[in-house]
Amino acid sequence: MWQVYFKELTELMRDKKTLIFVILLPIAIFPVLFAIVGAVMATTTNKAMQEQHRYVIINEQQAPEFAEALFYHKNFKKVDTSLSTEQELISAIRNDEFDVALVIPADFASRKAAVQQTEWQLIYNSSSQLDFMYNHFNDLLTTYTEELQRGALSQLGVDPANLTAIIKPVELTRVNTAEQRENLGESLGAVLAYALVLLCLSGAMYPAVDMGAGEKERGTLETLLICPISRTSIVLGKFLTVLTTALMTALITVVSLGVWGAIISAFADLSKVSDALAAISVLDLVLMFSLLLPTAAIFAALLLAISIYARTFKEAQNYMSPLMIVVIVPLMVAMAPGMELDVTTALIPLTNIALAIKELLKGTADYGLLSLIFASTAALAAALIAYCVHWFQQEKVLFR
Amino acid sequence: MIEIQDLAKAFALSKNNKLSDTEKQDVRYSKDAFHSVRNVSFSCSSGEVLGLLGPNGAGKTTTLRMLSTALKPDAGSVLLNGVDVLKQPVKARQQIGFLSADTGLYGKLTAFENIAYFGRLHGMKEQALKQRIDELFTLLNMHDFANRRADSMSTGMKQKTAIARAVVHSPKVVILDEPTTGLDIMTVQTVLDFIKGLKAAGTPVIFSTHHLDEVASLCDRVVVIDKGVSAFSGDIRQFRALADNGDLRDAFLSVLQGGISQQQQGAA
Repeated sequence: MWQVYFKELTELMRDKKTLIFVILLPIAIFPVLFAIVGAVMATTTNKAMQEQHRYVIINEQQAPEFAEALFYHKNFKKVDTSLSTEQELISAIRNDEFDVALVIPADFASRKAAVQQTEWQLIYNSSSQLDFMYNHFNDLLTTYTEELQRGALSQLGVDPANLTAIIKPVELTRVNTAEQRENLGESLGAVLAYALVLLCLSGAMYPAVDMGAGEKERGTLETLLICPISRTSIVLGKFLTVLTTALMTALITVVSLGVWGAIISAFADLSKVSDALAAISVLDLVLMFSLLLPTAAIFAALLLAISIYARTFKEAQNYMSPLMIVVIVPLMVAMAPGMELDVTTALIPLTNIALAIKELLKGTADYGLLSLIFASTAALAAALIAYCVHWFQQEKVLFR
Repeated sequence: MIEIQDLAKAFALSKNNKLSDTEKQDVRYSKDAFHSVRNVSFSCSSGEVLGLLGPNGAGKTTTLRMLSTALKPDAGSVLLNGVDVLKQPVKARQQIGFLSADTGLYGKLTAFENIAYFGRLHGMKEQALKQRIDELFTLLNMHDFANRRADSMSTGMKQKTAIARAVVHSPKVVILDEPTTGLDIMTVQTVLDFIKGLKAAGTPVIFSTHHLDEVASLCDRVVVIDKGVSAFSGDIRQFRALADNGDLRDAFLSVLQGGISQQQQGAA
C-alpha cells in the first residue's frame, strides 16, 4: 500500500496541474478573493453614496422649509414638472425622467395648523440593494418632523427645556454581548467553510481522475493488477494519496488565510480583526482540520470510485462535474440565515461541517455536537471507502 | 511449465445492446453475453517459446489476461509451474512477468523509477533491485535513458522500459502481448534477442504476435486462436506442415479457413 502511495505522490508532485490546484490556488485564492470583493464592494457603495437623485416635489409650497432642505442637500437635484397624478409620476420614473417624486397633500399646511396627522407619498424604484436615497430622505424628514413637533409643543406652552424628553421620552442604547470574534465568525465562518470544503473537493478531483481513469488510459492498470499485492492495498494506496492532496489543499488554504489575514490586518490597521483572529486557539484549528479529515475522505473515496469506473480522463471529468453542484447545495443551506448547529443539522452531511466550522470560528462550539459530526462523517467516509474497495474488485468496472 | 485447459470467458452485454446482423451470425454472441474465449487449451514447457497467433478480436488478449490473473476464467484451469492461478492468484503473480499490449508507463517517472516501482511491488530488496535493473539496462541497451521521464521517451525506449519492468523480478513465466508492434528494426532485434535469452535461461515464454517471421525465428510451439477457441496447437514443424509450401502465412490462413477441425490434426 505504501509503495503505491509514495509512487502516486511522487508523480503528482511532478505534475504542474496538481501543483496549481493543491498549492498555488489555495495560496492565491484569498488575497485575490479579498482584493476583488473588497474593490467591488467599495466602488459600488461609494458610487451609491455619492449618487445624486433627481426629484420632483408636488405641492412644495405646503412645506417650504422641507422643500428648501431638500433643495440644498448634496444628494438631491430638483427637476421641474407639470405632472401631478400618481400614475403620471410612476410613468415618468419608469421613463427615467427623474428618480423620485415626493407628493405632499394640498391641505398639509392647514392640517398642520390644526395639529392633524398627514400622509406624504414617496414614489421611487426601491429595487436597488444599496438604497441610500431613502436613508438621506428619511434623515431630512426626521429633522423636519422634530422641528414641527417642537413648534407645536411651544405653541401649546411647553417649557423648551423639556421638549427633548417629551419628543423622545426613551433613548435606546444597544450593548452587544457578542464578542468581536463571534461577529467575525458569524460573517466569515460560513464563507470559510464553503471555501475549505470546495477546495478539498477540487484538490482531490485531479489526482483521483489521474489515478483511476488515467491509469486505464495510460494502459498501466493491467500491469498493476497482476502485481502480487492485493487490490485492497492498491485502492488504499491511491485513496491515501487523494486524501493527502485534498487535506494539503485545505491546510495550505488555512495557513494562507492566516498569513494574508495578518498581513491585511497589519496594513489596514484592523486591530479588531487581528484581535479576533488571535482569539482562535490552536485547538480550534486542530478541531477544524479534524472535521475536514473525514470530509476529504468522503470526497477521495467518491471521486476514486467514479474515476475507476470511467474509461478515460474525459469521461471521469464528465461524471465528476455534477458532484460540484451536489456539494454546493448543502453548503449553501449552512449559509442560510437562521441555520444553527443542533442534533438534526449535525447529521446532514457537509451542512454539519460548514456549521461546525462557523461555530469554531465564533468560539461557541458544542463539543458534544462536534463529536457527533465527526462520528457521522467518519462513518460515511468508511462506508464509501469500503464501497470503493469493492468497486475495484469488479472486472466489469476495471475492464469496461 | 504453463498448462491451460478448457479455458472460457464471457462478458455480459448491456441490456440495451442490439446485435448487428454480423454479430448474430457470430457463434460467440448469445442473447446476453459475448463469449470471448470459449475453449482454449495449450501448454508450454520450460525453455520453450510459444507463439500465440490469431486475427484481431480472436480472444488472444483475453486468454493472456486470464493467464496473468488480471481476469478470472469462467471455466477451465491455468497452472503455472503447478500453481493454480484461480486458487492462488497472489502466488501465481509472483511467477509471472507480463507485458501488456499497451506498453503503459507512468509518464512522470523515469525509466529507472518505473522499473523500480514494480520491483518493489514484487517485494524486491533495494540492493538486489538496483543490481537487477543495472543488469537489464545492459541487456536492453537502456543506460542512455535510465533517468529520462517516460513522457519524453521514444516508442522504442518505452517498449524496452516496459519489457524490463515485466521481468525485473526474474519471473519463472513470461507473457508478452505483441511486444514488437510499432518498433523500429533495431529495437525489434533487441527485443527478440532478449526473448532468446529468456529461452536459453529455461524460462517458458508466451508471446502473441502478428509477425510470422518472428514466429519462424523464435517459436518452438504455435497456438492459433480463432473465435475464442484454439484452432491449432502444435509444434512449429507441425504448423509449417499445414501448408504445402511450408510457408507460415499459408499455414496460418489454412487454419483459419479450416476452423477448429485443424486442432485435431495439429494437436501434439
